Amino acid sequence: MSDLLRAESLCKSFGKVSAVRDLSLHIERGEIVAMMGRSGSGKSTAMHMLAGLEQPTSGRVLSDGRDLADLDEDDLALWRRANIGLVFQAFHLIPTLSALENVAFPLYPEKMRPKERRERAAIRLEMVGLTNRAEHRPSQLSGGEQQRVAIARALINEPGLILADEPTGNLDTETGHEILELFHQLRDDAGVALLIVTHDDEVAASADRIIGMKDGGRVDA
Amino acid sequence: MLSYVTSELSRRPSRTVAAVISIGIGIALFVSLQAYANGFRAAARAPLSEVGADITAQRQGDVPEEFEGIVYPHSVAPIDPDEIKAMAAIEGVEDVAESLFFWSFDEEGFLAGLGFDPSVDFGPGRLKAGLTEGRFLQPGDSDVTIVDTSFAIQNALGLDDTVSIAGRQFVIVGLVDTASVGQIANANVYLSLADAREMAALAPNVLAVHDMGPDDANLLFLKAEQTQAEDVVAAVEVVLGEKALVSSAESFGGQLGALFDLIDRFGVIVGLSAFLFAVAILLRTVAAGVWERRREVAMMRAVGWRHRNITRQLMSETLVVTFLGGLVGLALAWLATAVMSRSDVTVPVPWELSPSPHFLPGGAADVTVVVPLDAQVTLTTVVIALVLSLVAAALVSLWLPRRIANIKPAEVLRSE
Repeated sequence: MSDLLRAESLCKSFGKVSAVRDLSLHIERGEIVAMMGRSGSGKSTAMHMLAGLEQPTSGRVLSDGRDLADLDEDDLALWRRANIGLVFQAFHLIPTLSALENVAFPLYPEKMRPKERRERAAIRLEMVGLTNRAEHRPSQLSGGEQQRVAIARALINEPGLILADEPTGNLDTETGHEILELFHQLRDDAGVALLIVTHDDEVAASADRIIGMKDGGRVDA
Repeated sequence: MLSYVTSELSRRPSRTVAAVISIGIGIALFVSLQAYANGFRAAARAPLSEVGADITAQRQGDVPEEFEGIVYPHSVAPIDPDEIKAMAAIEGVEDVAESLFFWSFDEEGFLAGLGFDPSVDFGPGRLKAGLTEGRFLQPGDSDVTIVDTSFAIQNALGLDDTVSIAGRQFVIVGLVDTASVGQIANANVYLSLADAREMAALAPNVLAVHDMGPDDANLLFLKAEQTQAEDVVAAVEVVLGEKALVSSAESFGGQLGALFDLIDRFGVIVGLSAFLFAVAILLRTVAAGVWERRREVAMMRAVGWRHRNITRQLMSETLVVTFLGGLVGLALAWLATAVMSRSDVTVPVPWELSPSPHFLPGGAADVTVVVPLDAQVTLTTVVIALVLSLVAAALVSLWLPRRIANIKPAEVLRSE
């Protein structure tokens, strides 16, 4: 398997506080990797650097051999749109848009007929089992449903990699299991790789590989 | 993106309505004040436009020594033919109508008379429209007169009766309702300019205080190019010297009181201030909106929107809001002007323009022209208002990208 994303000696400091120290990792196609650690261990900061949302203080992130540091903010946005999907603990859906519109949200800047955009979004919504909730707004959906919408949104551009920050953190156990099952299904059916940031042992245990984090550094078991 | 724009605006109604109303009020104030000022300007033109003129020119003279026979009120001293030619030659002057206003005192009482050329269709020539009986004066007429209907009723006069003016008998050939035509230079009797000049040139109490020539006039009506009217006024004042009494829409505007004066002077400034205030509110609303939606903006960045995509989205929302605000503003302005147009404007006519002796009963009564306030929203004002709306949107849009750039997705998404 080849690397989808590679991080080399990533460091990130906020003033005198060192959030991430000398982190190196790689993610291969079709694998599920859990980045596990306690709160404050630097895993979310690491994920943001891997997504190009945060500039590392030192080190680099490579995508298909390309250093993200060479891209400006707009190019990074385009890179994210084409290559990765993001899922957050707080879902971050747009409250004024319906579930279907939220799924289509990354496509709005693209020149595309509204009908085609809706069709693509409907397919993703079907993949996460929410066809019947397409016209509901986030406030009308349960937490699990909102996270499914967020996952469908992450899938809209058929990315090779999904970065998920505590995706089950706001969900009850049963719904959390459903989301994890969905991740495995996506990996199995669509070959999507996942990096799941979590502090939950059970979530980590479902991954193919675990990257342990402590005090900003990697502490693999 | 249009669906996102409509979703944002329709599903956040309170914010949208607040922004639309703030812009709407600014536009409405601006447009209404202009309409109000335009209405007053139109009203100020009414006394002169009633007689088809743009300017009247007189020269102040001396008070008659005795009130006997033909005399000139002190507001109308003779203007000689050279001066009249000089005024006709002023750039912007289209035509000049000459007339001679006088008072006549004899044993039968007092009357005000006006001599004019009936072949000229403006100035006193407009009286033709008020003819109620008989015929109007014709070029070449002599020893005939047309009489104001009120004066005729008061003195039991009718067609073919005679009126004595300074001892000369004039046959009444027509009756005219003077008040229906205008309030400037209203007289009791009207006669040919030639007859009036003949009598004035022989009148001892005119000659006692004036150097009266046979072709002089003492009250001129000028038609002028509207855009040059004020320049013409200045030039006429130069011709007539320091005792010039020149009336125009501008001078009538001055009679309309402090409110009009304030609106006329500061209407544009007040309107623009109101508009800028509205822009400030819009800016604040958009700023608050961007702050409230920082997580949304961060997500836009996270899912692959470029800066210009985000700016375009927020600009589109602002543009729609300002456009709606513009429409609301125009609708409010239209309503306000409809209400304004129900009122009347009373334009005082200065005594000098329709003089009657103070010492006679009613001689000092105010003469006024009452016209409906024609407050209309002009196309120019509408265009300016819509351009201002676009300017408002542009101002906000200039500031938006910086505001958006300040939103760091990682910080926002981490802290939420």
